[in-house]
Parts: sequence; structure tokens; C-alpha cells
Amino acid sequence: MLSYLAQRLVSTILVMTLVGIFVFLLLHLSAGDPAAIIAGDYATPQQIVAIRQRLGLDDPLLVQFGRWALRVIQGDLGVSIFSSTPVSALILQRLEPTLSLALLTMLFAVTIAVTFGVLAAWKAGRPIDRLLMGFSVLGFSMPTFVVGYGLIYIFAIELRWLPVQGYRALADGIGPWFLHLVLPTVTLGLAYVALIARMTRASMQEVLEEDYIRTANAKGVPARTMLMKHALKNAGVPIITVIGIGVALLIGGVVITETVFNIPGVGRLVVDAISKRDYPIIQGVILIFSGVYVLINLAVDLSYSLIDPRIRH
Amino acid sequence: MTTTRRRFVQGGLATGALVAAPATIRAQTTPPVERTIRAVLHGDLRVFDPIWTTANMTSYHAGMVYDMLFGVNDKYEPQPQMVSKWSLSDDRKTYTFELRDGLRFSDGTPVTAKDCVASIRRWGARDGGGQHMMARLADTPVKDDKTFQIVMKEPYGLVVEWLAKAATNVCYIMREKEAQTDPNQQISTIIGSGPFVFNEGAVVQGQRYVYDKNPNYVPRSEPAVMTSGGKVVNVDRVVFENIADEATAIAAIRAGEIDMIEYPNVDLLDTLAGEKDIKLEVLNKQGQLGWARVNWLHPPFNNVKARQAMLHLIHPTEVMKATFGDEKYFRGCSSLFGMGTPMENDANIDWFKTAPNIEKAKQLLKESGYDGRPVVVLQATNIAYMNNAANLIAQWMRQAGFNVSLQASDWGAVVTRRAVKAAPDQGGWNVFFTSGSVNAFGNPVSLSGHAANGEKGWFGWPSNELHEQLRDKWAGAQTDAERKQIAREIQQNAWDFVPHLYYGQWFQPAALRKLTGLIGMPELIPFWNVKKG
Repeated sequence: MLSYLAQRLVSTILVMTLVGIFVFLLLHLSAGDPAAIIAGDYATPQQIVAIRQRLGLDDPLLVQFGRWALRVIQGDLGVSIFSSTPVSALILQRLEPTLSLALLTMLFAVTIAVTFGVLAAWKAGRPIDRLLMGFSVLGFSMPTFVVGYGLIYIFAIELRWLPVQGYRALADGIGPWFLHLVLPTVTLGLAYVALIARMTRASMQEVLEEDYIRTANAKGVPARTMLMKHALKNAGVPIITVIGIGVALLIGGVVITETVFNIPGVGRLVVDAISKRDYPIIQGVILIFSGVYVLINLAVDLSYSLIDPRIRH
Repeated sequence: MTTTRRRFVQGGLATGALVAAPATIRAQTTPPVERTIRAVLHGDLRVFDPIWTTANMTSYHAGMVYDMLFGVNDKYEPQPQMVSKWSLSDDRKTYTFELRDGLRFSDGTPVTAKDCVASIRRWGARDGGGQHMMARLADTPVKDDKTFQIVMKEPYGLVVEWLAKAATNVCYIMREKEAQTDPNQQISTIIGSGPFVFNEGAVVQGQRYVYDKNPNYVPRSEPAVMTSGGKVVNVDRVVFENIADEATAIAAIRAGEIDMIEYPNVDLLDTLAGEKDIKLEVLNKQGQLGWARVNWLHPPFNNVKARQAMLHLIHPTEVMKATFGDEKYFRGCSSLFGMGTPMENDANIDWFKTAPNIEKAKQLLKESGYDGRPVVVLQATNIAYMNNAANLIAQWMRQAGFNVSLQASDWGAVVTRRAVKAAPDQGGWNVFFTSGSVNAFGNPVSLSGHAANGEKGWFGWPSNELHEQLRDKWAGAQTDAERKQIAREIQQNAWDFVPHLYYGQWFQPAALRKLTGLIGMPELIPFWNVKKG
């Protein structure tokens, strides 16, 4: 187990190195000049050249890469070209909103989806099954921004129950924090509810046809115990896999939700950085996200053996 | 130890109190909602140094934090702001300025003549008008803490105009310490003597920028008019909110979460029209001007006939209608200096009266000897008016006989590519679209895009000796009447050699929720004089 863990950690570093090289080259070889954006529209070409020189953007690519890589190895992600703020500080400032949104979304999605999936599998072929699966198809098909604007219109503008946009830090109190995250969480979570519910239903249906479930039924085990204790645990591996994939996909999903609900998260940070070609921010965020992505996959792999003792690494 | 229900509830309450504690502390320093203006402006504040960039958002920020030696009134005439009195010597070469009493930076230190001289010199190294002035500058002696001079080598009529202008770069006064920073490097400390203090601790980069009322600021006694008069602040805090999504911003103002949107999406204006607390108001009465730059370095636009062909094929009304819909929000522009500016005139505008005239454009293109090579038109798809202008104008160019290669990208890529001087088939370009404040176009010298000094100039690199001589003559003029006459001569010549083209002038309204007293002006949203509620 320990050697497996060590192997995976080494591969994480390798993946992050490759991602770092790829992102650096991709950014610097694509069109866009931060100096021109900094200087503004009325600046003369000479002024842009002066800013470019001052920022070191005229140096050979290899020199720029070497400079950046050396800093990253020392744990320094550099500073924003525009605001001169350290990238790590900018990411840290944006981490709480993104983590809050991601965790609440997964909590919401897993709770609802597993309940829906188990219920649908138990009542397979009945109206409740069709209703829940119909809802899943709808949740999966509706674009995030359509759901977001729809919820804003109903709950924020018409009913005035919830705020339209923005984020309140946890330090401002749990109430305001939660109220500002309700609509974004539901908006972002619907697709995951659909994804996980469908997988739970399929996996549960397979397990519910097993002999030991029939035996449990024959012995008169209550339905709740049979579903939750015997069936769900054995149907767990594919569900955990889908949840793991969902968490990874969430990293991409938060970008649109953070934009629609004006949440100052990491997703918006990187999108803004791309539009203004703030290379250190883009590189820093992608590097960290790639590491998180690999670690989530590792956590999912390790969780298999907890659910199913037959699986050993 | 066993956990009893009572202990659990006690623990929960204690945790709640702990989590809420910082909010309680913060609540004591956060001004109430009714004393706070939350405004969504036209973009994100990316750079804080108004000399390092010409971006308007930075100028908005600087207008809060810094003050100017002179402001302008509603006739665009310079009026003393930080200056109490000033004089011009009999030989018209020496300007003497005395600062008014009570001027202090937000750190409490007094504003001195040394701060002013250092700020003027840094600004003069970057701004078009400033550079023009500095090239004729002899010296800037400091007489005492409150008095300094600007000594010119020759009589120069624009010194006060340049110090007062609101178009970027604006001559804002910084502390000498910051003003001595290399103009090509961003300043790292933001301390000014303006009506607001930048609250860096409350800033979330890319999201929210916070300005608190400056307790050290002493406003002038005259009423506020544009950037002149008393900058009286009636609220405790102004927050620039960067809401990237336009529909969300509209929903937020409807729900009362924000108080202002500078440029609400025109397609969504109808949803605001019925709201009783929200009014739509055009703040910048001069508006914005859309312009197309053609590349003089390569065929076909190195030939005047091809440039004249472009002049005849653009139909501004159609371009504007595609983006702004309602005709009350736009108009065509025939004057080189923009419509509604002091220098606007009607010299040599016959082309405008008959445009669009595709047949005339075809004939001129033929006369230019155009060989059918691809003409690269850069299209910034992420900015609606530029995207629409590129689509429509490319189509009219095709009708006139141009072989158009429309190349789509985002604006960030356009600003990079427009600097490339290589041939269009080697990464260069032929046409790109942009826009600017009409106020900036009203000045033939300070706007870099008005220069026709070839490869030393702004992208497109037009070249015309007479134009440059006339710009110099304009700068040297002593009276307004003289300047207006020279402006006519400049325009007469310009529409013959066609340095660039205009595709429309627009006046986008702002959405204001329960705000009164906001001074409408170009290039700035002044948050002094504004009352909420």
C-alpha cells in the first residue's frame, strides 16, 4: 500500500511537470501580449515595447521558462503581471469561495442523487422511477447558465428570497455565507445529481438482482436495511468512481457558475487572467488544479479498498 | 467524557459566536448600505497606475484617489483645482502656480510643489500632450513649498489645457516618492490627495475595489462642474464591483444589490425601463467613437485611393443599429475630431453626405490598382460592437471588390497582432477596429492616434507631413478661434489622405438606482457630489 502511494505521488509530480511545460509553451506561443493590454488602447508601440522590456517578456522563451520553473520549485508561483500581487496570495484569496461552492455542490448532489438513484432502482419501472429519471435527463440537458438565470429570476428577483449574486465569507457568518451559495449550488449541482442518480440506479438494480438480496428479502429484512446496508454498500464502487469524476469535472463547472453568480473564485480568476494574458496566474492555477485532479483520482482509487475489502493495491 | 445534549448545544453556540465574531468586528468599520455606493463600471480595474496605462478604468480609479492641478468646466475650459492662483509672464513662457491651502495626502503629509513637479515630469514622459509639452520645456523650478513654475523654451498655449485634460493619461498629482518611479514601471503605493482613499485591505482583485471618503480632503468652495469646483463627497464608501456577466448585473440592480451600471447591455435595457427606482441616463454626452485603422505599410492601403474607397463604403447607421438598436443612442461621425467636441467642423465631408456609395468605392479601388490580394481584417469577437463592425464592413468591402480574409480572435490577440509591422500574409494585418472616448478625439495633439508621423506613430502608421505641421501649428495657437480654424485645415487635409475611418458614435446610457447628483462627463465617473436615496 505504501509503495503504491509513493508511486502515485511520484507520478503526480511528473504529471504536474508535464502540465507546467505544456501550459507555459501553450501560453507563450499563442497570440496575446500582456504589455499591450497593460499599456491601454492609446499607448504608442514604443510605450508597449518599454513595458515589455521592463516585465522581461522580451527575453528568450527558455530564459523565461527557466526563471518561472526555478521559482515554482522554490514554492513561488510568481506575481501577477498586472497587479504585482503574488499569485499564491491571489489563489488563496479565491480558494474559499471555490471550495465552499464545490463542497456544498457535491454534498447537495450526492445526497439528492443517491436518494433518487436508490429509490428509482427500488421502484424500477414504476411512475416514481420514471419521474426521477425524467428529472435526471432534464438536469443533465439544461445548460448551467439557463438554470442559473432561471433560478435568479424566480428566487432573487420575483420572490426576493435569495441574493442575485456575490459571495460572503464564512467569517461573515454561516447564514449570509449559505444564503449566497444556495442558488449557485443548485445550479451547478443539478447536472451532477443527474449523473450520479443514473449511475446509482443502474448499479443498485444490478445488485438488487443478486441472490443474497433475494435471501435477505426472504428472511424478512426490512426494506430500508436491505437497501442501505446490503445493496448500496455493494453497489458503491461505480458510484464512488462517478462521484470522483464529478469532483474533477466540477473544477471546470465552477467557472460558468462563478461568472453567472459573480463569485470571486479561482475559476473566475483564471478566466480573467486568460482574457488579459496574465501568464503567471494562468500557469499557477492550472498547475495547482492539475495536482488536485491527480490527488482526487488517487483518493478515489484508495477509497475502493475501504468499500470493497477484496480490492487491494 | 460523554457528550450530553446540553453540552452539544453549548458547543454549537460557542462555535457560532466564534465564527460570527469577525463579522461583528467588521460591522463596526463597514459603512451602512445607505452610505455606500456599489457601482458596476465598464471593466475590471487591472492596473492602478494612471501613468503606466491609458486604460480608462485606471483613470476612474485615479480620479477617486488623486487630485489634479486644474479641472475643466462644462465648456471644457481649465479651472484651478489644487491650484489657488496662477499667472503667465509677459513673454508667455513662464507659468507660475501656487497651491491652495490645506492640501494633504491621505497619509496626512502636505502636498508640496516638489510633489507637483515630479508628477508633471512623470506624466509628461508618457502622455501624448505631455510629451509635446516636455519637448518644449526649459525648466520646472520650485520656488517654495507651495509655488512652482513651468518655464517653456517658446510661448506655448496649451500648458494649462494639458494639466486640466480628463482624457488619459491625466496629470494626477502623486507624492514625490511615487512620482519618481520610472514611467515604464508601475507604482507600488497608492496614496493621493483626492476625495477618496483606496482601501487596499478590502480589495478582492478582479472582483471588488473599495474607496473610502478621505477625511483629509478639503474641497473647493465653488459648485462641482465636471472635474472643477468642490469635490464634496456625500457617502462614506464607493465600491467598484466587477460583475462580468451583464445579465447578472441587470438582475443585481433590479434586486437592489448594486446602485449603478455604467453601460448596461443595450439588449436588456427594456427590462430596466419599467423599474420605478431605476433611471437610465446618458452620462457621457459626447459618447464613444468607433474607429477603423488601416495599415499604411502594405498594399492595398499604402495607396490613398484604396483608403478613400473605405471612406465611401462604410454605413455607420447600419453598424450602430446592429449593436445599439435604438437610434437615440447613436449617430454617424463626419468630423475628424468627433461630433460635439469644440473642434468639430464640417470641412471636406462630401464623402459622408453620400456614404454608403459602393459604386464610388469600387471605382476608387480600381483606380488604386488593387491586385486582388487577401486583405486581412482583424475581428475581436468578444466585444460586440467590434465584432458587428467587422462583420458588416467586411461584407461591404467584398461588395466593393476587396478580397477579405476576416480573422477572428479575442481582443487580447488583436492588440498583439496590430503591433506587427510584417506583411499581412506573414502575421501582419490590414484593418482593425477599436473605439475611444470622443473627448479624446477632440484634441489633435494629445491623442496618439491623431498623429501621422509614420512608423513612429500609432498602429496603422499613417504618414503625412502637412498633417504634422498643422498639428504643431494647432498646439502653438494662442486663442480658441485660431485653434478652431487650424482644426478645419487639419480635417480638410485628413479626409483627403484618410488616416483612419469612423464607423459610428454612440451614447450608451447608465442605469442608476436611487442616485442623484452624478455629474455626467466624458472619461470619468466622478463619485463626488452624488447622493444616495
